[in-house]
Amino acid sequence: MGQPLDIFAAASAEGAWTVSEVTKRAKHVIEAGLPPLWVRGEITGFKAWRSGHWYFSLRDKTAQLRCVMFAKQNFRLPPPTDGMQVFVFARPSMYEEKGEFQLTVTELLSTDQGGLWKLAFEKAKAALTKDGLLDPARKRRLPPFPRRIAVVTSPDGAALRDIEAVVGRRWPVAELIVVPAQVQGVKAEASVCSALNRISRLPVDVLIVARGGGSVEDLWAFNSERVARAVAAMPMPVISAIGHETDVTLCDLVADLRAPTPSAAAEAATPDRAEVIAQCAVLGQRLARALRIASRHVVERLDRSGDRLVRAMERKLEQSGALLTAHGARLDALSPLRVLARGYAVARDTDGQVLKRVAQLPAGKAFRLRVTDGEVNGRVQ
Amino acid sequence: MAEFSKQLERLEAIVRRLESEDLDLDEALKLFEEGIERLRVARQQLTQAELKVKKVLEIESPS
Repeated sequence: MGQPLDIFAAASAEGAWTVSEVTKRAKHVIEAGLPPLWVRGEITGFKAWRSGHWYFSLRDKTAQLRCVMFAKQNFRLPPPTDGMQVFVFARPSMYEEKGEFQLTVTELLSTDQGGLWKLAFEKAKAALTKDGLLDPARKRRLPPFPRRIAVVTSPDGAALRDIEAVVGRRWPVAELIVVPAQVQGVKAEASVCSALNRISRLPVDVLIVARGGGSVEDLWAFNSERVARAVAAMPMPVISAIGHETDVTLCDLVADLRAPTPSAAAEAATPDRAEVIAQCAVLGQRLARALRIASRHVVERLDRSGDRLVRAMERKLEQSGALLTAHGARLDALSPLRVLARGYAVARDTDGQVLKRVAQLPAGKAFRLRVTDGEVNGRVQ
Repeated sequence: MAEFSKQLERLEAIVRRLESEDLDLDEALKLFEEGIERLRVARQQLTQAELKVKKVLEIESPS
């Protein structure tokens, strides 16, 4: 019923359109007729370019749409994978160089539970688990009295102030080495890795990686597999305090200890100085008591030795005494007094000379006679 | 500063040894003297310290 198409009509009236006139017009028509909108579909042909731009198509059962998501829009997102169901917020347009109808995507949400974040998290977690990095047996004990405590965090955040305050109060004996890092944004991952790398070469006893609370995007650097691997490779024990208590990041999982807040991390890293001073006081008391006991032992030993010496002497003396008595008895038997007692007498002259022979006793000689109970004077007749 | 934990460990070992062993007086006195010295150093470390904060500047700017 329609008029037969006169293929020369347009050309004859307006002249033929150039290609770019058509694409320009189409672009105008599309942008005027289709405002930015949410589109639901399945990702297919996903490709991330070195520039950071993402190219992919969205499809359903019967149609496809070309999509681009530029780096400045996607840097906070983990990349989606083909087959994933997503919502995009996009501006329909015409890519004139190729004459293609396409969507310029500014938001991309996964329809899976938890979205892209969850998916990327689980993927990285699975990779870390496979390499044994989440094994609880890997967890190292924290040093009881750290000398150097390193901190990787934002240089101007509350996290650093909290850590400084707690360490200063509990364990100022330590030195705090702060290595600032960008903890959010497109450069966070590289910045945190670089800070970790620097610390791994320093003589540090324990490391705190801290970041205050934030959205899942804000915390993303600490869910990156690269950061998690860098944390796992640190030569010293690592305490992780990222976000709020409810946000568990990969960094938390690979760390040797997870603290709910930066302050709690600082507490875990340090002993309480007052307690250590008390502990030293107790040791001092024990030391003094132990010395007293040790010296008492020595004195007791000396005493015991002395006692033994005395007892030995006494025994020796007793034995000697008995011997003496025996000898005395024998001596006694031989004593001249015993002879006198038996009725003999001894005559001595006035000088005490014993008179044994007749020649010594001329008539008229005075002598003294010793009998058993005394002496009497006598004279030879 | 000498390693604090080593200091404390040695001190504990000294006390235990002094408490448990039948030492002669000379040895006991030597241990005691060492213990007192270590205690003094530990105490000094604990009381004189004021937190030192060193900021390591980020030289390599990540790109």
